[in-house]
Amino acid sequence: MQNVDAIGSGIPAIPKDNYLTNGFTLKSWLLTKDHKRIAIMYLISISLFFMAGGLYASAIRLELLTPETDLLTSATYNKVFTQHGILMIFFFLIPSIPAVLGNFLLPIMIGAKDLALPRINLLSLYIYWLGGALTVYALLQGGVDTGWTFYTPYSTTFSNSYVMAVGLGIFINGFSSILTGLNFIVTIHTMRAPGMTWFRLPLFVWAQYATSLVMILGTPVIAITVLLLAIERAVGVGIFDPAIGGDPILFQHLFWFYSHPAVYIMVLPGMGVISELISNFSRKKIFGYEFIAFSSIAIAVFGFLVWGHHMFVSGQSIYAGMVFSFLTMVVAVPSAIKMFNWSATLYKGSISYDTPMLYAIGFMGLFLIGGLTGLFLGSMGLVVHLTDTYFVVSHFHYVMVGGQVIAYLGGLHYWWPKITGRMYSEFWGKISAMLVFIGFNLTFFPQFILGYMGMPRRYASYPAEFQVLNIFSTAGASVLAVGFVMPLIYLMHSLFYGKPAGDNPWMLPGLEWRTTSPPPTENFEKTPVVTWEAYEFGEESGLDLEAARTRDSVTTV
Amino acid sequence: MSDKHMETGEGHIGYPGYFGVFAILVFGTIFTYFSSFWDLDGTLFPGANTLLALAIAFFKMTCVMLFFMHVYWSPRMIWLSAVASLFWLAIMFAYTMSDYFTRSLGVFSV
Amino acid sequence: MSQHADTHHEEFHYHAPGLQHQFEDMKQQEESVSIGMWMFLVQEIMFFGGLFTAYLVFRSRFPLAFAEASNHLNAFWGGLNTLVLIVSSLTMALAVFYAQRGNRNMQVIMIILTMIFGATFLGVKVIEYTDKYNTGLVPVTGWNKKTKKNAEQHAAEPAKKEQAFTLPLIETSAAASAATEEHAAPYVNPKGEFQWNSGRHVFDYAIEKEKGGKAYLTEAERVGYFSQGEFDPNKYRDKIRIFYYIYFVMTGLHALHMIIGLGLMSWLLWAAFRGSFGPEYFAPVEMSGLYWHFVDIVWIFLFPLLYLLGRHFLAGGTH
Repeated sequence: MQNVDAIGSGIPAIPKDNYLTNGFTLKSWLLTKDHKRIAIMYLISISLFFMAGGLYASAIRLELLTPETDLLTSATYNKVFTQHGILMIFFFLIPSIPAVLGNFLLPIMIGAKDLALPRINLLSLYIYWLGGALTVYALLQGGVDTGWTFYTPYSTTFSNSYVMAVGLGIFINGFSSILTGLNFIVTIHTMRAPGMTWFRLPLFVWAQYATSLVMILGTPVIAITVLLLAIERAVGVGIFDPAIGGDPILFQHLFWFYSHPAVYIMVLPGMGVISELISNFSRKKIFGYEFIAFSSIAIAVFGFLVWGHHMFVSGQSIYAGMVFSFLTMVVAVPSAIKMFNWSATLYKGSISYDTPMLYAIGFMGLFLIGGLTGLFLGSMGLVVHLTDTYFVVSHFHYVMVGGQVIAYLGGLHYWWPKITGRMYSEFWGKISAMLVFIGFNLTFFPQFILGYMGMPRRYASYPAEFQVLNIFSTAGASVLAVGFVMPLIYLMHSLFYGKPAGDNPWMLPGLEWRTTSPPPTENFEKTPVVTWEAYEFGEESGLDLEAARTRDSVTTV
Repeated sequence: MSDKHMETGEGHIGYPGYFGVFAILVFGTIFTYFSSFWDLDGTLFPGANTLLALAIAFFKMTCVMLFFMHVYWSPRMIWLSAVASLFWLAIMFAYTMSDYFTRSLGVFSV
Repeated sequence: MSQHADTHHEEFHYHAPGLQHQFEDMKQQEESVSIGMWMFLVQEIMFFGGLFTAYLVFRSRFPLAFAEASNHLNAFWGGLNTLVLIVSSLTMALAVFYAQRGNRNMQVIMIILTMIFGATFLGVKVIEYTDKYNTGLVPVTGWNKKTKKNAEQHAAEPAKKEQAFTLPLIETSAAASAATEEHAAPYVNPKGEFQWNSGRHVFDYAIEKEKGGKAYLTEAERVGYFSQGEFDPNKYRDKIRIFYYIYFVMTGLHALHMIIGLGLMSWLLWAAFRGSFGPEYFAPVEMSGLYWHFVDIVWIFLFPLLYLLGRHFLAGGTH
């Protein structure tokens, strides 16, 4: 088998014919239909947006170092946190795992040559760029200060910022994510290799499937909502501004009909990555495969039934609120199923603490906190006290950064040898994973306390007695920033100086590890035939567990 | 995936079938138009006119989907996506309206 | 794709014409394309679904104002357009039928017919929009026809508006249209604002009903039409304007979809004319057909929801 050869051959070499060497011109990249190249272009684009959003975050934390409004004026501060939110959510988090890791790996994991609709895939990238360019243009012109939620009537009538341009940027960008989701669903349905049944799919693929469902069913609603907002702002007539007979709560309904499920777009793919990491780095078949697979679908479906919990104090009916509150508790169940199954997978596994696994373990802790505080916020009584405080801010950062960003980094490290053919420095990887974990907790845990004590979000100033905890938070943010910058450096470094990784550096059974690293343009020499279940470790899969245990001495730099 | 799909020549109802469906659609349209002048709201219950019009529209939609769009001969996945999209629309309508309809009940009522 | 990949691949498989490299065979490709198209339609349904939700919310809260406003859409044109679209759906379905049979000439004829009916639909839409433009029913200030007869009439405008809202209950559609024409004549609109000069027949009808002891206004209407206990024509007009706003956004987006559909048709016509489609390869015709039928379905719902509300208030209000 290929794996055995890879292990036996000693020093692996990077194959000559791979997707990276298939054409070097700019045209061969910009007009490619290869999902792997598109994923690389997505990777570069979202990294740029992540850095831009990160700069805004630094500005926020620096401003909050002192109680006074000193570094930024209040008006600028409004723009800064709004733009932080918009860039991070619409241009980083939503495309992060699906468009980069999903795009790259989904066809390989199911044994296909490419996504089913490669031209649509390229189109989605261009739409993403177009939406991003429009948004960046608007930000450079003066930005937007409505908060990422664009609540009416402030956004339609009163805000003096570039709401329309940013709105249209998000409208356009939405279609990029719709097309990605569409492509994934079609691919998973029709492109599976012979023998790759639904229940042999890696759980990452199941998670992508659930995410794609949400993208297709939810994103059009935000598109039409933002379009209505833009029209209303442009012509001064509409259905959201109460001064002309409109209904601002309708905007919130439409907005959250998408934006709550969007939270699951932002965490489901992360859960998929974590399922891969936990099972593979415990070298143990995942516990309760079907439960994890179906809990992804359940999250996608139930996620559409709970949006009202963002509107408990908006004037929404308390009876509707009760239903939404109850369903919020229900939607926690599938997430809990995943957590229990991951824990059960770890039990008696032969765990190796490589960088991706450190991220995965970090995810479990952070997502647990993020998820449970979500239940606090989903209960109608408590939320009256907590609405629009730093408790909320902290909660969703625990889910989105502690969930998706950590999972994304974990996945990126995990598949980096497959994507580039080279190993990064394991030493620096571990250091940065730990820095991210520590920095993250230091940044956001104090915010739970601040929020509980009553510090409201979205203000540039705060009472002096909150300063100590805010200093902790800003200090943590600095550590977090270092943790995020380090991978950028050592991953870039590994591109040129990294040790060739070989086809299967982690010694795992998944289909993506049975092709060369980096993979050839059509992914496999010939269409693979799948005869094994997912996460099947053992000799019969061509894996020598003993060799895998002593792998560290081979691959560590 | 189902195999009954895409057998050439099987995926439609043929020439007379198309015109039959067409006749139903035209009849439905004309019927909707004239029924809107009946005062069903007054004689039956408020909203009866709209209900009738929507029922006809649903029937017309079903005809177009099943026969013109060939859903009837399509694999289960297509059925599922057609039904699921309507189901999700229903979710959006029902949960949004659950807010508006119950808002004035209880403590806030006048 | 790169040259390299294609030559590499041909060693293994025979490629049918029109088969893309990532698929094994034509069946897989057709299945993928058809699921992809349906997923696209699902997102289109949700896209229009947001608008329908907005419609539903306002309609259920302000049914009287919506009925009032809807009576000034021309149901004849709306109904005609519905028929036109249904015919175009039939010709589209037949185009697919003939493409499957490989009958090039009938295919081309059917696509041309579909395009003609599609264009007819848009033409009727233009007539309707022009009418709204001329009578001040476009909800945006400045987007209506600016009529300035003379300064005196302009000064007298508020009084006339007041008068317009004190029309008696109109019992028949003939009387209603007569009243409308009567008030269309002295129409003055110097700034091109949204205007409502057609009274409050439906509201009066409901008030008349309420005298019989039956609650007829919704709770939202009891707040939404009144200021300090008095009927407020401006607030009533605001709700009517919301109807027209929703009407223009919905029909406008629908018309945009029609225009895109016509673009698809032109491309299809060209390809069909060249004989690209036959029994083995007709997916583009079929997919465009799905799109066209979807646009038709949207109109099937728009027609009763926008044009046919509360016509019985005018026609049979005899109780």
